[in-house]
Amino acid sequence: MKTVSAKLFIAIALLVFSVPVHAGDDDFKSVVKIIEQFYRVKHQSIPFLAKAGMKVATTAAKIKGGDAKRIAEAGSIKLAVFEDQAFNGDFMKFRASLNGALNDTWMPLIQTLSGKSAEQNYIYLRNAGEKYHVLVITIAERDATVVQVTVSSKNLALLLKDPEGTGKSITDEATIIDQE
Amino acid sequence: MVLSLLVILPFVVHAQDPRLQLSSLDHLAGKANQTVDVNVDERLMKMAAKLFNEKDADERQVKKLVEGLKGIYVKSFEFDSAGQFTTADLETIRTQLRGPGWTRLVNVMSKKEGNLEVYLLFNGEQVGGLAVLHSDEKELTVVNIVGPVDLDKLAELEGQFGVPELGIEKTKKN
Repeated sequence: MKTVSAKLFIAIALLVFSVPVHAGDDDFKSVVKIIEQFYRVKHQSIPFLAKAGMKVATTAAKIKGGDAKRIAEAGSIKLAVFEDQAFNGDFMKFRASLNGALNDTWMPLIQTLSGKSAEQNYIYLRNAGEKYHVLVITIAERDATVVQVTVSSKNLALLLKDPEGTGKSITDEATIIDQE
Repeated sequence: MVLSLLVILPFVVHAQDPRLQLSSLDHLAGKANQTVDVNVDERLMKMAAKLFNEKDADERQVKKLVEGLKGIYVKSFEFDSAGQFTTADLETIRTQLRGPGWTRLVNVMSKKEGNLEVYLLFNGEQVGGLAVLHSDEKELTVVNIVGPVDLDKLAELEGQFGVPELGIEKTKKN
């Protein structure tokens, strides 16, 4: 019996470890790790995330020049928040490491750096079957957010038309959930 | 072999790339107060053309606007003080725009202050790309659109797809 169990364990272990790890499958976690390592910060765990998926369906965000619209598909939000920590570091080096990690699987859409407010914004896209994944990274002087959402083709069109405005709406949509 | 190379070479030389190399300006981000870097490449442009709905009047207009375009690239820098970028920085872009096929348009009307240079890349009769170089004391913007584009299209693209407001005035049609 013991031998059977051991063989079964080995078989499962082999199966688990032989599954190829696709770069890009968990880029959200990689980005959070890059931020943590580069800036020596820690992201907060967010207990409300579990309900976020359901609540997001009722969350509305304003899009520049349009009515209130939902952007993220229900249940698709991944969110990491860094609060009240120092984001000191060469943002050019950070941008290079971020692009280096993501550019194979994600398409960089827009990147903005603001020296005065020490704010960095990055938006990346990738195909996800008939829908699209959008990764929005916002880093300010003391706070940062990493948001990954799935959007429909219609909302991707909005994002392409107004990358900055829609990108901000995606972050707002993901982070205002706890305030509702 | 030599003969065939001699026949091919002139065509190779004239096949100018409508996409400008803008990475030479990246070092300015360290000095700038505000940096914007937009990359809507061919994959995204194709995607965009498919995404807009033909049945909706507004979307149809946008679809028409982006159809055929192969890329929109923008680098924009705003500085707190003058003298943060040099003529050499501008020359890295202008040198490319002196290449075969590129023509500088004169009499481009813009509401924006500063020096505005607009270039079109011609592949024979067809326009294959456009470049805008805008600079004033505290600002430098380069817009590069790949594909069939003209000033009217550029004016319509302003404020969309990451193209900044350049104040380009549309050409008057008789």
